[in-house]
Amino acid sequence: MIAVARRVLSSFVPLLSSLTLLPAAYSADPPSPDHAIVAGFERFHSGPIPDPVRGGLLLLGELNCTSCHRTETGADLFLNKKQAPILDAVGARAKLPALRKLLADPQSAKPGTTMPNVLAALDGDAKKDAIEALVQFLATTGSVKDKPLEASKLNAGREKYHQFGCVACHGRRDGKPTPAVSIPLGNLSAKYSVDSLRTFLVDPHKVRPSGRMPSLNLDNNDAVEVANYLLKDLAVNLTPSLRFRCYEGQWVKVPDFDKLTPTRSGESAGFDLGMASRPTQYAMRFEGFFRVDRDQEYTFHLSSDDGSKLWIDGKDIADSDGIHPLQTGVGRVKLAPGAHKIVVGYFDGGGQVELIVEIESANLPRQSIEPYLSLSDGPPAPSTKPGEAEFTPKPELAETGRALFATLGCASCHQLARDGKVIEPGVSSVPLDVARIDAGCLAPTPAAKSPRFALNDSQRKALADAIRFLATKPVAPDAKHVIAHTMTANNCYACHSRDGVGGVEDERKASFETTYADLGDEGTLPPHLNGVGGKLTTEWLEHVLADGAKDRPYMKTRMPKFGAAAVGPLAKLLATVDPVAPASLKPEFGLPDKKVKTIGRHLAGTQAFGCVQCHNFKGIPSAGIPAMDMSLMTRRLQHDWFVRYVVDPQSYRPGTRMPSSWPKDESQLTEILDGSSRKQIEALWLYLADGSNANPPYGIGRSPIPLVAEKDAIIYRAFIEGAGTRGIGVGYPEKANLAFDANEGRLAMIWQGGFMDASKHWSGRGDGFQPPLGDNIIAFPRGPSLATLTDDKQPWPTAAPKENGYRFRGYRLTKNDRPTFLYEAGTVRVEDAPDGIVADGSPAIRRTLSLSASGDESQVWYRAAVGSKIEKKSEGWYAIDGEWTTRVEAGAASVVRESAGRWELIVPVRFSGGKARVTQEYRW
Amino acid sequence: MTYGRFRTSLVTVVALVALAAPAARAADPKEEDYYKILTFEPPKGLVLEVGGLEWLPDGKLAVATRRGEIYLVDNPYAADPAKDAKFTVFAKGLHEILGLAHRDGWLYVSQRGEMSRIKDTDGDGKADLFETFCDGWEITGDYHEYAFGSKFDRDGNLWVALCLTGSFTSDQKFRGWALRITPDGKMIPTTSGLRSPGGLGMNAVGDMFYTENQGPWNGACALKHLEPGAFVGHPDGHAWYHLAPNLGEKPAPPKSGGRLSEEVKRIPKLRAPAVYFPYPKMGQSASGISCDLSGGKFGPFPDQLFVGDQSASTIMRVALEKVNGRYQGACFPFRQGFASGCLPSLFGKDGSLFIGETNRGWGSRGPREFALERLVWTGKVPFEVHTMKAEPDGFTLNFTEAADPKTAADPKSYKLETHTYIYQSSYGSPEVDQTHPTITKAEVSGDGKSVRLFVDKLVEGHVHELHMDGVKSTTGVPLLHKEAYYTMNAIPKASAKP
Repeated sequence: MIAVARRVLSSFVPLLSSLTLLPAAYSADPPSPDHAIVAGFERFHSGPIPDPVRGGLLLLGELNCTSCHRTETGADLFLNKKQAPILDAVGARAKLPALRKLLADPQSAKPGTTMPNVLAALDGDAKKDAIEALVQFLATTGSVKDKPLEASKLNAGREKYHQFGCVACHGRRDGKPTPAVSIPLGNLSAKYSVDSLRTFLVDPHKVRPSGRMPSLNLDNNDAVEVANYLLKDLAVNLTPSLRFRCYEGQWVKVPDFDKLTPTRSGESAGFDLGMASRPTQYAMRFEGFFRVDRDQEYTFHLSSDDGSKLWIDGKDIADSDGIHPLQTGVGRVKLAPGAHKIVVGYFDGGGQVELIVEIESANLPRQSIEPYLSLSDGPPAPSTKPGEAEFTPKPELAETGRALFATLGCASCHQLARDGKVIEPGVSSVPLDVARIDAGCLAPTPAAKSPRFALNDSQRKALADAIRFLATKPVAPDAKHVIAHTMTANNCYACHSRDGVGGVEDERKASFETTYADLGDEGTLPPHLNGVGGKLTTEWLEHVLADGAKDRPYMKTRMPKFGAAAVGPLAKLLATVDPVAPASLKPEFGLPDKKVKTIGRHLAGTQAFGCVQCHNFKGIPSAGIPAMDMSLMTRRLQHDWFVRYVVDPQSYRPGTRMPSSWPKDESQLTEILDGSSRKQIEALWLYLADGSNANPPYGIGRSPIPLVAEKDAIIYRAFIEGAGTRGIGVGYPEKANLAFDANEGRLAMIWQGGFMDASKHWSGRGDGFQPPLGDNIIAFPRGPSLATLTDDKQPWPTAAPKENGYRFRGYRLTKNDRPTFLYEAGTVRVEDAPDGIVADGSPAIRRTLSLSASGDESQVWYRAAVGSKIEKKSEGWYAIDGEWTTRVEAGAASVVRESAGRWELIVPVRFSGGKARVTQEYRW
Repeated sequence: MTYGRFRTSLVTVVALVALAAPAARAADPKEEDYYKILTFEPPKGLVLEVGGLEWLPDGKLAVATRRGEIYLVDNPYAADPAKDAKFTVFAKGLHEILGLAHRDGWLYVSQRGEMSRIKDTDGDGKADLFETFCDGWEITGDYHEYAFGSKFDRDGNLWVALCLTGSFTSDQKFRGWALRITPDGKMIPTTSGLRSPGGLGMNAVGDMFYTENQGPWNGACALKHLEPGAFVGHPDGHAWYHLAPNLGEKPAPPKSGGRLSEEVKRIPKLRAPAVYFPYPKMGQSASGISCDLSGGKFGPFPDQLFVGDQSASTIMRVALEKVNGRYQGACFPFRQGFASGCLPSLFGKDGSLFIGETNRGWGSRGPREFALERLVWTGKVPFEVHTMKAEPDGFTLNFTEAADPKTAADPKSYKLETHTYIYQSSYGSPEVDQTHPTITKAEVSGDGKSVRLFVDKLVEGHVHELHMDGVKSTTGVPLLHKEAYYTMNAIPKASAKP
């Protein structure tokens, strides 16, 4: 079996590998499957089968066997039937060539598909005709609107596809190693347009109601990005069928276009509002022709958001004008065979935009008019059906297709409603309990009229065993069976283990990502579901299954939405088989509830058990690990489970970081509520039960910790934004502040007002760089204050100062804590004493550098300023970039020079007796 | 019928246990009977998130904080420290201090970006000279990039253990290394492969150890010997071997997903931890290390190591031995119930242990945000396993007091399990490869103070988790701590044992 599965040949692989857009690693991907892939069967039943009946029961449901083969009441209880895709609007979702290919040979069109070949009994022209008729029929359900890819969405789409959870079931598509067996996606770009895939991804249950393709709750934007990514090899070649003119402005009705000047004009494929090239507030006029072949009355449905109007042959036919959400106006007109001119006016006043034009007649079901449009009234132009040059709608043939849809058995599995009526199946098969396990679909060479499923031997055997088993009329399955079956059918086991079964496969682990790597597997992999029915409330379980969830902030993967229909009574069954031992009786507090809750709140805070050190609360992030929001807990968890869990987290979640504040059921806080762990836990629960009405505990979130220089200067060594990892902030009582970059020996910033807020570094783990608290920040460019230059033309050095002779030596404090920075610049020792002063009533900085060297250095320069503009003012002052002024004195004339594209104010340092002195004043 | 009877008997058993429990518990020894915790109460508003502790020549205790402040504590040995100890500020504005050491009037201060030394030159009680002693490493600004400092080693060097940039990478010079700083401030790259140290300390003969925390390439927290030239497990710091020519070629990169005991054989510089602290049985966040050099003032464990756990708010005990020239040994629970998360510790001259505590950013079982505490021996000797030594075919346990020969000689008084960890690049590891060896025989010595366990069979590279629930003292008291975890990097050879 394995050898067969690894067969490399298929029509799909060469196609993919020939596409240059794909990364090279793609060719090394696992081979396409050669049989129907049912994830749960592949994982649990494809090897040596301990219980073949289970595998067979799974397949009976997943392959939809009972849609044709009726079952006795009772047998259904063993199955969890997967409904085939609903085809009500398949024409708007899937491109016709893809449908044609799928009908001709499902396995070669989509290797691994569970769809059987129902045309195997036909060959040659008969088969071709049947396919054509079916395609004509399916085409009446809508048409795919193709549009070009948006390259800007690809990266985000790739990230979301690989992070949100798609790859829990499907293969990776980014060239990284991907498991051998995944649920196949087929050739997506042959099937979908960006829009039709987006529509599917936003609500997959609409097409696939059984939840096997669960919804990851993608919003429209997510879905657009993922669709663009999945279709990244899409080649869009659109035939224009209309001329458009676009106008920008604000209207409340469709304007009189003749009085306006268009901002753009051109040709479009169908009514493509994207041609407006702006999101809202525009009007468009489309003009073209369509042909009809019968003399009869036609109905036009004009739907738009906001307004639109439709003219045919110059006559006002339908109106959906004004500002409104999507609304449909209807008009009727008798038309002669031949070409007719169509004009549609549209405007958007803001918000959503949409425009749909449909045609309907006695022999033409309501459908988009776009396939019938052309630029001229000449002979029928090639259709705009994407990639389908020859397609012309043929209503009679479509009717034949409609009949075939029933008689070939399509309607047995696929729901397709036309005119509000679901097409009834037109075939009958033997009931399952009398079905022969070696005949019909299960025969090694299936009977001529049987649908051909791509089954391998173990699947065939499992099905046979299951049919035999059901024929014994077994008593109803127990809850454990139904739970396991439901979890296998929905592939819950791809993410979750339960009672030793399933969980993320090793080769898929890398496809689960976390926002917080330090949490390891606990923060990366979905939780086990041992005892989950005793852990979560049944309501919450039902909610999670029906709606999906994203409650674990540290996981990038989402819990998908399966929908209530897919999982049946799963939540209730879990609750019956997973009871949690009841907690001891509720304690008597002898206190009012409010008082107890106050104590509970205190316990959760950082002055008691510090739950919020790790747990978020009402969306406020914790200072440490982003563990689950505490305000959700009493909604999610059963009370008794909570009481037991917090005492001994390890036994419920082995390896968890969650510590117990009540180890061995003993409280660490003996003075609160008599030190009773039971009372303390209950108080916590009561407090948490207020959910989003609870006041957050002490210590969550950050309160500012402003550092204020009162009498003395104040020093703050930290990661300071603008001053590096070894920033030394100095706040002076004069309200002048500075930051010295000790790693580079430079004055990095000066500012006025507030000094620093230490809360970033003094709350939680203290990640990140803190900017100044005050205002009027002047940031100086990088580079040392002192350098050795051969002349005033040599550029200021750019090498890392530590590699260039600079060494930080520390600082000395005055009695008032004002620092003098000590450092070496090559052979020169520097004492750099800045000071906060008040000049002209404003905080200012005066800086004095005392330099010493063994000899009289002659090539040492001091750089006083760098800017894009340095202006000389009176009395030795310079203005830099119009932002600050400075005066520097070093006993020699300063030089303003242009160097490396900027202006610099530099001054040579004159040594005398091995000593030199530079002073500089900063005002701003 | 059978079912009904079974139920009845079960209920009876439960009732009996419930009745017996309070009585049994009263007789059970308690940690606080032997070691008392005294808690300091800093003045209101003082946030004493302790990162470093050191003695000054005048007998004051210097306490450094994560907020970059240093306080001096007067009267640190006060019987009621909450009332009688006084705090004065010595320095402020430093960058997350995680190490203090005193020499010749200078206080050496381990900051994130540098080792500094500071001094009060004008005698006003506050430091006024802050010198950069060594700054040979770099930081990116990631909070994880801590720098833990040691006390002076026997050669007068200070050691610095540098956390990686985050858990996984070494994005700047010497992240993930231990460095030595010589008395004249020169830096010697010494040991690579660190990930997230929690403290440094020496054993009685002056060899330097550090605590490592569970994470990538570290299946559980551990005590590791900082042998010069060794590589202790996390390969991301390999990037800086070119700046450490004294250490020769960088080791081959380890393979992820195997077992450390195998990789150690393949990579000559790679060393296994001396002692694992199984997660979370012993703790979740190993921290400061102190060696009891008091010669008995701290109770019956002279020369053993006392290691903190920040998350569990505990102090653990470690007894090392050398097998095949390398350290390995056992850890034991010692004392729980500290007020906050234990970080640095320091023995006082009276043999009591001072513990600095904080739980900012990492929750702790102890509920306070920060604390300074002192652990004092009451003078009563607890009935404990003093040392657990590996034998070629089992263990020798030495007790602090004579054991009841009957219980100690009964193999059923013991339960032994072993496990190891996956040596892997992803975070942590479950316990794997479990075995359940049989204790075939337990021989009690004549004085009852030791027992020789014969085990079928020891597993090299595994942690041996020994439960001794049945062992009683001659007075019928059970062990104060009934479990021990021995890290068996090597099984001693029969002939190699003296």
